[in-house]
Amino acid sequence: MTDHMTREELLRRGVAGASILSIPGLLAACGGSSSSQSAATTTSAKQVPHNIHFSNWTLYLDIDEKTKTYPTLVKFEKHYGVNVKYTEDINDNPSFFAKIKPQLSSGESTGRDIIVMTDNSPYPALLVEKGWVEKLDKAAIPNIKNLRSSQRHPAWDPNREYSLPWQSGMTGIASNTSLTGKPLTSMDELLENPKYKGRVTLLNEMADTMTPVILANGDDPAKVTEQVFNAALNRIKKAVGSGQIRQFTGNDYSGPLAKGDLAAAVAWSGDVVQLNLDNPHLVWNVPDAGGEIWTDNMLIPNGGDVYTASLLMNWYYRPDIAAAVADYVNYISPVEGAKEVLQKSDPKAANNPLIFPPDETLNSVHVFEPSQLNNPDYLSKWNALVTA
Amino acid sequence: MTAAAETLVPRRTITPLARAWAFVKRHALTAYAVLAFLYFLLPIAVVVLFSFNAPRGRFNYTWKGFTLDNWRNWDAVPGLTDAIKISLEIAVLSSLLATALGTLIALALVRYGFRGRGPTNLLIFLPMSTPEIVMGASLLTLFLTLSVATGFMTILIAHIMFCISFVVVTVKARLVGFDRHLEEAAMDLGANEWTTFQKVTLPLIMPAILAGALLSFALSVDDFVITYFNSGNTVTFPIFVWGAARVATPPQINVVGTVIFVVAVGLMLGNVLFQRGRTRAAA
Amino acid sequence: MGFFHRHRWLTPYALLAPGTLWLVVFFVVPLGFLGYQSLEENNPVELTSSFSWAWHNYSDAISTYHTQFVRSLEYAGLATLIALVVSYPLAYFIAFRGGQWKNLLLLLIVAPFFVTYLIRTLAWQNILADNGVVVGFLRDIHVLSANGRVLQTGTAVVAGITYNFLPFMALPLYVSLEQIDSHLLEAAEDLYASKLHAFLRVTLPLSLPGVFAGTLLTFIPAAGDFINAQLLGSPRNHMIGNVIQSRFLNLNDYPEAAALSFILMAAILVGVLVYARTLGTERLTG
Repeated sequence: MTDHMTREELLRRGVAGASILSIPGLLAACGGSSSSQSAATTTSAKQVPHNIHFSNWTLYLDIDEKTKTYPTLVKFEKHYGVNVKYTEDINDNPSFFAKIKPQLSSGESTGRDIIVMTDNSPYPALLVEKGWVEKLDKAAIPNIKNLRSSQRHPAWDPNREYSLPWQSGMTGIASNTSLTGKPLTSMDELLENPKYKGRVTLLNEMADTMTPVILANGDDPAKVTEQVFNAALNRIKKAVGSGQIRQFTGNDYSGPLAKGDLAAAVAWSGDVVQLNLDNPHLVWNVPDAGGEIWTDNMLIPNGGDVYTASLLMNWYYRPDIAAAVADYVNYISPVEGAKEVLQKSDPKAANNPLIFPPDETLNSVHVFEPSQLNNPDYLSKWNALVTA
Repeated sequence: MTAAAETLVPRRTITPLARAWAFVKRHALTAYAVLAFLYFLLPIAVVVLFSFNAPRGRFNYTWKGFTLDNWRNWDAVPGLTDAIKISLEIAVLSSLLATALGTLIALALVRYGFRGRGPTNLLIFLPMSTPEIVMGASLLTLFLTLSVATGFMTILIAHIMFCISFVVVTVKARLVGFDRHLEEAAMDLGANEWTTFQKVTLPLIMPAILAGALLSFALSVDDFVITYFNSGNTVTFPIFVWGAARVATPPQINVVGTVIFVVAVGLMLGNVLFQRGRTRAAA
Repeated sequence: MGFFHRHRWLTPYALLAPGTLWLVVFFVVPLGFLGYQSLEENNPVELTSSFSWAWHNYSDAISTYHTQFVRSLEYAGLATLIALVVSYPLAYFIAFRGGQWKNLLLLLIVAPFFVTYLIRTLAWQNILADNGVVVGFLRDIHVLSANGRVLQTGTAVVAGITYNFLPFMALPLYVSLEQIDSHLLEAAEDLYASKLHAFLRVTLPLSLPGVFAGTLLTFIPAAGDFINAQLLGSPRNHMIGNVIQSRFLNLNDYPEAAALSFILMAAILVGVLVYARTLGTERLTG
């Protein structure tokens, strides 16, 4: 593929620091010069898969506890005769980005071929915008046809040229029905009902919390104007000031929720699937006005082996492989057909509406306008609230 | 008997209350120490307890039932055992080196007058006061500028760096009150400086060196932020736990923590008993 | 060795060289980068920054975040004080009554670090849960109101900092106490001093180097701590460490984070200088 640069070429072209702005220009020139059609017929014949390095979040790939291996990955390795170095070194989006940013901005390779970042953080959009990720070799990913239609055109990567979803999750309201009576389904309850004062937490990620609140205000999170933003922010500010909100958490709401310290929390669907197994009173619902959906996306940072990485992505878009992953990870698979495969081996998981949500659920979850995720004004205001 | 003699002889009539009070006074400190240790080890007790928990989900927050499964499948979480191995290796190496380097600095600062004491003291205090995140990120910048690949070695370098200060301050506290007469006596008896250091000084400051080493070990095995930035794709135990906690808190983490605790205490206990045996044999 | 005999003046430098060289290369140089960064002008949209003697980073930092600065010094100070009071008798016990078990007892103090910070804190969250035994007891004896809680308060943050830094106080205290010759105490008692008097006039002054060391090793890192406030506090309890963390990671504002760090370090150093002068550095650090 003519727009793929080897690491050596990249290092030669990269000049530390000063020429940050010229790198995207160079990449754009390389990428734009040949259309993908002519590339398609010539690349697959010439390319050979190599060993690659796949960086992912912890416990995000199916494990065989007896052999202590990742079965789907081992199958891939055998099939293509390559070795995949799989490291679970992504802990959260901002830290990981801060870790790879120095190398990307100076044009060096990060040593990784696939990374996974969440789209409710500014980073996937930033990476694409700054030209720090490679284009996928779509010719090597025929299974892209299995991508769910609802995820084919995200605003920050409209033609899925740079990314493919790994797993998705939903953000909604977790409630402890032994404390709340019935499952809570409205953000109004969390933010304003004095009965739950001091026993509610919100998520510290801006998109996770602001999206449901914007929806609860009757606004559209796909167009976050300053007015929309401030309305939602002020509502949360009031709740924080009155002591209604106990804390802004990462996923450390799980402990207090499980112990009954919290009546309700803005929480991720996948966590509650797990918590529910030990405490059936813990339930999760999409808020009435709508919730949020986030997607962890596979991206190829500059300098990565595009062909082999694309092959790996293609592998995980096979319905049977995707089913194995979904069965273990218990988050939402982006692959059509995975549910049907799972029906035979694990019907309980296949029919779990939090792992394979029905269309009506998927239609009620939204995303925060991606281009506003890195709005410095919004971020400062949000930070001031969360870190006071 | 004279009045003076009477006051020198203790009165033998001790009331039960006085006896009780004496008992309390004698054992108050021990009782306090026991309570303090219980307080220290309370979280460890919870960790050990929950290593036997049998949650059905991925989180280990509420007690669900006793099981030995977690212990049987102690390495069921890939990455966990590798991470703890790396953390322990780094902790041992970094505390050894940091203790050595720090002790030397402490000796220089306390024993000798030299130009640059002020700046040296400043150099010792600064790393402790620097927030981890900026220290980690700046160190990463250094490594990248020097084209050093981040990984095990860079983590080790970083850990030694921030542990030195703690060793210096700890060992200094010991050296300050050190009785130089002992060394002078040794040298009067013909020992040269090196022998004196080896046979007199070093054994006497050993408790401080050991304390410094323990603190370094604790700092290193628990460090997260600086390590994360300078680890490349090496995963240490804290990094693994933080990452895993997003989706699960597997009881195997508790198992591994318990094992380390038990092994460390066991080794130390064995050492103590061995020493007691030696002193008894020598006596 | 003969070389050092003849060139006595070299000895301190030889002793200092390896450690200080390490610190200079791996701390001072990065600190230099940080200093440079603190005077850059940040462009958050482009993710770039350029050097422009941006002193306003410093003035902005102080004006916007003075509350968190003060709060950090308060929390760290309080935690240090409590750690001192809690650790002193413990260190005394190990030093004077520990006998052959001293090393084992020291290990037990450091043992909680073998399970990571997160696991320790989760365990404390478990113990201090709103409807757990401890909080229930505190409510019963009316230390807490009927709906009161421990977690997510300033108290929890200070308690967390104290707990996590106790070894840093206890070990230096022990180091200092352990070298006190018991004969000195015997002599004091022979001279009719009561136990308390002997303690105040002999033990305490001789242990001051340890107190000095312990308070430094606790206060200095505690002031920059962020993790306890993040997990155990609410936004109202956040410290300057949290601010630096979030400016750096979430706002990609490296210059501001760098400026904040330097201000923190300066504040700590000034405090340490004043503290050392008050206690009389010559006596304490030789």
